[in-house]
Amino acid sequence: MQLRHWRNGLTNGLMTVYALVTLYPLFWLFISSVKSNEEFYSRPFRFPTTWHWDSFSRAWKISDMGTGMFNSVIVTAVSLVLTLVVGALAAYVLSRFQFRLKWLVMGVFLLGMLIPIHSTLVPLFIVMNKIHLLNTYGALIFPYAAFELPIAIFILQAYMNTFPKEIEEAAFIDGMGYWGIFAKMMLPLSAPALSTVGILAVLRFWNDFSFALVFISKPALKTLPLSLSMFATGYMTDYQLTMAALAIAVIPTIVVYLIFQKSIMQGMVAGAVKG
Amino acid sequence: MKKKTGALAALTLSASLALAGCGSGGKESGNANANNGQGDGKEKVTLSLWHNYTGDDQRAKTMRAIVEQYQKDHPNVELDIQAIPPDGYRTRLKTVAAANEMPDLFVMWPGVMTKEFQAGDLIQPINELLDSKTEWKNNFLPGSFDGFTIGSDIYSAPIALSPTSILYYNKSILDANGLQVPKTWDDLLKAVEVLKSKKITPIALGNKAAWLAQSSIFSSLADRVTGTEWFLKAASNDGAKFTDPEFVKALTYLQDLQKAGAFQDGFNALDNTQMEQYFAQGKAAMMIDGGWALTNLAATASQDAMSQMGAAVLPSIPGGKGDPNTLSGVVGTGLGMGKKVSGAKKQAAYDLLYAMAGPDAQKRVLESNQLVSYKVDLDKSKVTPIFAEVYALVNSVNRTPVYDGVLSSAVADEVNNGLQDLLMGGKPETIAKKIQDAQDKSTQSDKK
Amino acid sequence: MTSTGRARGFIAIALLPALLLFLFFVIVPIFWSAYYGFFDWKGIGSAKFIGFGNYAEVIHDPVFWRSFKNNMLIVAASVFGQVPIALVLALLLLRNAWIHKFIRTSVFMPMVLSSVVVGIIWGYIYHPEIGILNFLLDRLGLASWKRQWLSDPSVSMYSLMVPIIWNYIGPYLILFLAALQNIPSEMDDAAKIDGAQGSRKLFSITLPLIWDTIKVAVVLCISGSLKAFDLIYIMTGGGPAHSTELLASYMYNNTFSIYRFGYGSAVSTTIILISLVLIAGSQYLMKRDNR
Repeated sequence: MQLRHWRNGLTNGLMTVYALVTLYPLFWLFISSVKSNEEFYSRPFRFPTTWHWDSFSRAWKISDMGTGMFNSVIVTAVSLVLTLVVGALAAYVLSRFQFRLKWLVMGVFLLGMLIPIHSTLVPLFIVMNKIHLLNTYGALIFPYAAFELPIAIFILQAYMNTFPKEIEEAAFIDGMGYWGIFAKMMLPLSAPALSTVGILAVLRFWNDFSFALVFISKPALKTLPLSLSMFATGYMTDYQLTMAALAIAVIPTIVVYLIFQKSIMQGMVAGAVKG
Repeated sequence: MKKKTGALAALTLSASLALAGCGSGGKESGNANANNGQGDGKEKVTLSLWHNYTGDDQRAKTMRAIVEQYQKDHPNVELDIQAIPPDGYRTRLKTVAAANEMPDLFVMWPGVMTKEFQAGDLIQPINELLDSKTEWKNNFLPGSFDGFTIGSDIYSAPIALSPTSILYYNKSILDANGLQVPKTWDDLLKAVEVLKSKKITPIALGNKAAWLAQSSIFSSLADRVTGTEWFLKAASNDGAKFTDPEFVKALTYLQDLQKAGAFQDGFNALDNTQMEQYFAQGKAAMMIDGGWALTNLAATASQDAMSQMGAAVLPSIPGGKGDPNTLSGVVGTGLGMGKKVSGAKKQAAYDLLYAMAGPDAQKRVLESNQLVSYKVDLDKSKVTPIFAEVYALVNSVNRTPVYDGVLSSAVADEVNNGLQDLLMGGKPETIAKKIQDAQDKSTQSDKK
Repeated sequence: MTSTGRARGFIAIALLPALLLFLFFVIVPIFWSAYYGFFDWKGIGSAKFIGFGNYAEVIHDPVFWRSFKNNMLIVAASVFGQVPIALVLALLLLRNAWIHKFIRTSVFMPMVLSSVVVGIIWGYIYHPEIGILNFLLDRLGLASWKRQWLSDPSVSMYSLMVPIIWNYIGPYLILFLAALQNIPSEMDDAAKIDGAQGSRKLFSITLPLIWDTIKVAVVLCISGSLKAFDLIYIMTGGGPAHSTELLASYMYNNTFSIYRFGYGSAVSTTIILISLVLIAGSQYLMKRDNR
């Protein structure tokens, strides 16, 4: 018992060190955002001598982050809902039903996971130009959801595969239709997997730059990474403002992550009750 | 050329933009719809303009001010402005070009880009405008239009000039070690030896993005060895090849410099901003960099450090075929005009083009610490001392071509990678062969 | 559940939105891009049909094979680094003590940062002048271990693996945690009664139960590493002299840096084919292990 205690302590200790090392970059980002440019170079790993708190408000104003934030929230939220609903539906079908051509559908989605997205920029641009989707929220929402679908489907399907068949059969006998089973049983039961998919999706949508750059050109529709890009000129470097802007952009993702993380816990509790 | 590859380096990564080099953006893109259509009898037109003057540097601010002024003066013209940060600008332009959706007016590079757009039938010449204002046209420095000219058609007028290989030096470090600014290759090697023995980095180099060694060091160095004529022949695959002994010799010179320990450790892991910082902090005695360093240094280096800096041309090479009193350099960007612009729109576009590249604009740009390819008397009180020195230098020597300004993108890329390889100890002959292979392939595909 | 008419209708309607979205925005562009691969096209102007010319060039391009080799290193590092580490962490962190929550949260944090920030930070760690790694080695009296971590081709690929592994452990950890938490508690009880404990329980009960999840993780890992791009592009740009080039960066450079759209498209089609083979292979192997 003693040995075990000691061993637990050691693993916990080691993991804590690992966690702290992992957290350091985030800490570095925030520290750098209140440091002068000169100190960014000369003392990259130390606290600033003077704390430049104003860099946050300056960064916010200069790059018009308000607009970017608003657009990013809309695009991310809508893409997320689309990904989750459409993805869960497809995962439900692929996990619970047998039909001809199932292999084909799975194969097609698998193929989609392998694509380096940069290779489709030009063809996508041409397609969207033809259907007048460029410069709308749709120009980002549809491709985001489409590219996220395979991963969403694979995670959700793997998760749904673990549900025992009996619960559904019981519900079916109770007269619940497929839609009812999907909405009232599959979705709630999949909460942990949905959270996982959700986190990955939100992070990807929120941080995407390539699609936004190429498909959006109206200033009013700019997403956050495009606002951040306002800091880039090929000629000079204002790290303080950049870091401040990046820090501002990171905060929402951290918040979302913490919320989602909570719902993973809830999903686990639900699982226990079900058991 | 400067940022050409550098900008590409960070390109389309998720938000990579944000760090590749940063100033802060203004509200440049916001007020596009101000003052439109106040019906002063003129036909109302909408004009789209794409530029990359998004930064916080003086040049960008000046250009944005000029555009705003134009808007005020032309209430009948509605400008649809896209201000795109330099890192993403070329990708964006390339993408719309591939889809044949060019903006009406856009910032365009001379040389390869102009050629490609012309070949794709995407742009139209502006000879008409230039010929209607001959005084303006004649005040450009000689050769200004070369990169924008195809046949007898001129497609743009430059708003910048970029010397790419200036030898910046730190006066106090050289003085403290009893050294002069190196005039010959032997001087340079001697200086390297002395500085190295004192544990001072002789030359700062940041070649992570790979274009710097090519654009700043090699373009001038190779010209000293082979002469300009040879290079132009080799570049057009006409009677000279990159496997010729003179080119191999030029490569060997660069490698010798590296072997002598001229550059600090890890030069392939630093980018050019970090290199400039390194030099400005007095950690290196010299740096070979382009005119673009001036804006950068003005923004980050201390007053004290700036006053220690001097500028010179690269040293001469014994027995070299090139003129040693030269700088490699390129004419900077200008505005290109989309093929589809016509009628009243065209007149409005001409007006805007003139507003942004005309005599007044050129003067204002120069006073923003940005060299221009236009005859303007510099008011030295308005710029930094090192800028004034470089300005004087540039006007006293001849200009030679820059490698990536002349070679096709694929070949320039091969040169960039080849030089990185060379600086890590690769064999000059092998590298020369690879470059020639790329050149053969590129000319072949052009002919087809 | 039998495939009655009603079920068929449901299958069709439920799959339709996903399929339409996916076909239109992903599959069509892929084939379009594969089609461009048959042309000599600079992205502007007319494209010239050259049959399999680009594809033949890909096969004969030493830089492509170098990228391929580097990419296989990354795939190996990810599959044998990320997946086991994430699995071990998940097993250790299953309980809900606050410290475990804290560690879980931290491990995922790198994912929250965009690759730019991560790339820049690791760039500073490996920095030749002010890098903290060389600094530490100096302090520890290991000066002879100092390296040009990112620009010396003999070590740079290995230097790059560390941040890549580090950065992407989070999602796999969550994936495994979700799967482990879903193991019904009766299984645990049953195992206890059987006297299965420790490693025996792990291998005979836990792992088989989450095997599907592991398979998903491996697939994600392989496809993710074949697409790996951002971090490396920021830290080394694929250089010096292509020494850290990966398939995706090679494709990207060809398309957007030197504007060989046709060739770049051929490369990306080749990447997709390679990925397919790899994933099919890994699935096959894992199936045999399991059954």
